[in-house]
Amino acid sequence: MVRVPGLRRPPGPFRPEFWRSPLRGPWLTSVLGSLLLAGLVLVVATGFASHAAYAPELGRNGIVDPSRDLPLTFDWPTSPVWLYAATQGLHVILGIALVPLMLAKLWSVFPRLFAWPPVRSPAQAVERASLALLVGGVAFQFVTGIVNAQVYYPFRFNFVVAHYYGAVVFTAALLAHVAVKLPTVRRAYRERGVLAPLREDLAHTRPEPSDPDGGLAPVAPAEPTLSRRGLLAFAAGGSGLLLVTTAGQAIGGPLRKLALLSPRGTQPGRGPNGFQVNKTARAAGIRPERTGAGWRLEVAGGASPLALSRADLLALPQRTESLPIACVEGWSTTQSWTGVQLAELARMIGAEGRPLRVESLQPRGVLREATLTADQVTDERSLLALRVNGVDLSLDHGFPARVVVPALPGVHCTKWVARMTFVAS
Amino acid sequence: MRQRYGGSPLHLAAHAVAFALAGWAILQLADVRRADNVLAWFVAALLLHDLVVLPFYSLIDRIAAAATPGTAVNHVRVPAAFSALLLAVWSPTILGLNDASFGRVAGFTREGVFVHWLWLTAALFAGSAAVWLLRARRSAPDRR
Repeated sequence: MVRVPGLRRPPGPFRPEFWRSPLRGPWLTSVLGSLLLAGLVLVVATGFASHAAYAPELGRNGIVDPSRDLPLTFDWPTSPVWLYAATQGLHVILGIALVPLMLAKLWSVFPRLFAWPPVRSPAQAVERASLALLVGGVAFQFVTGIVNAQVYYPFRFNFVVAHYYGAVVFTAALLAHVAVKLPTVRRAYRERGVLAPLREDLAHTRPEPSDPDGGLAPVAPAEPTLSRRGLLAFAAGGSGLLLVTTAGQAIGGPLRKLALLSPRGTQPGRGPNGFQVNKTARAAGIRPERTGAGWRLEVAGGASPLALSRADLLALPQRTESLPIACVEGWSTTQSWTGVQLAELARMIGAEGRPLRVESLQPRGVLREATLTADQVTDERSLLALRVNGVDLSLDHGFPARVVVPALPGVHCTKWVARMTFVAS
Repeated sequence: MRQRYGGSPLHLAAHAVAFALAGWAILQLADVRRADNVLAWFVAALLLHDLVVLPFYSLIDRIAAAATPGTAVNHVRVPAAFSALLLAVWSPTILGLNDASFGRVAGFTREGVFVHWLWLTAALFAGSAAVWLLRARRSAPDRR
């Protein structure tokens, strides 16, 4: 016990009788925590999956320095084709939908922030430090993720790098929190039942009995205005509302219109090329004159390099695939692409079974080139697309030619391709 | 150990692992460009919730609860909270803060999102009022 002489309990929130909600208590926090944990496991898993989907160990793919990365990457598959659209849609949409649940959880434990004395033991000091990382981490991850999904950058750091390491800090603190709180949760469920308190309507809503660790169940409760199931329905309703008004940006079709507040909840243009553009030719610095008749695709890394015009490429066997473009921002759009198989180009140059570095006409930016794994090149559905929905690609969609690979993050489906180099595996 | 530390060995072990991992990530972050800004946002996000957002909505809620009889406050609480939630999450788009950055990359800006939010807010309050009226009518004494 650390006792500082002369340190008296301050007034206001540091006094237990300040906290009057009759609903707070170990059971309520356990339920909110369990629900939030289930959601966060999916958000964290899909987040790290997205990191792996970029194949950061290959070429210059890594935005996070590969020599300073965790060994968590694995070969990202190409099937099912909607894999990245699903995992990243889940990451963003579920993340947004968890906001009300997270706020409710933080509300339920808020009195503990004002525990007095602030530190009773070394164990408590350690735990409070890790909680600062946990709450700061969750707030940082949610704020940066939500603004990035709307292409809004009020901060000055690189989003990808900060969100990645921020996720590591948050996940580490979350693991410790779950490990040390599991007994508390189990005790709450054992004593009060997992679902039994949900049967209590407002007239039967009583405060939870005072908890031994103190600080959650109120010592001077007010009259309830909401039952516990009412509070859970309130939080779940908020989650549902966010889910319904967001999910359309990933699911697409008529549901896209339901994403009423998302910048991607609309079809921006008309006609076969009217679907969403991640980055316009203008924003990427593409000079239209370099995409005209003089454009040649350089293919290197095999026996002898090739320089193919668009007419040369159109004369090769064409294949049509329905594939999604899935963005890290959590939206996606499935279109019908026509072009030359990447495997066909590999065969032509005698470089089968090798990774492929694709470079864009885009003059600057980390995403001006991407390296595809050998499996991605070999997949028969991977295309160098020349046309979409039966017409030539528009300039904004990557004319004269762009890569489309199943289940690959959208920004690695390089547009305005200038050079393809098969590299040593 | 339990005496001196004040917790179980599992408590210590779990936190040792967590701090090792988090410490490694923080060291990596310390070397990135504008690391000071990352720290500022981390601390600001924490303080924003704990010192601004939660006290603010608690205060509003207390005022609303004091001003409305019985459980009628829920019919204001729920639509107001949902509307605020939508605004908080989508504020860059609703308030057009991302018009320049989003417009530059996507080639268009979405019009009318603020109006969508107003309509959603109106619908939430109208729905809540309708439920309140239904409940009031059902629980009213028979007037024949």
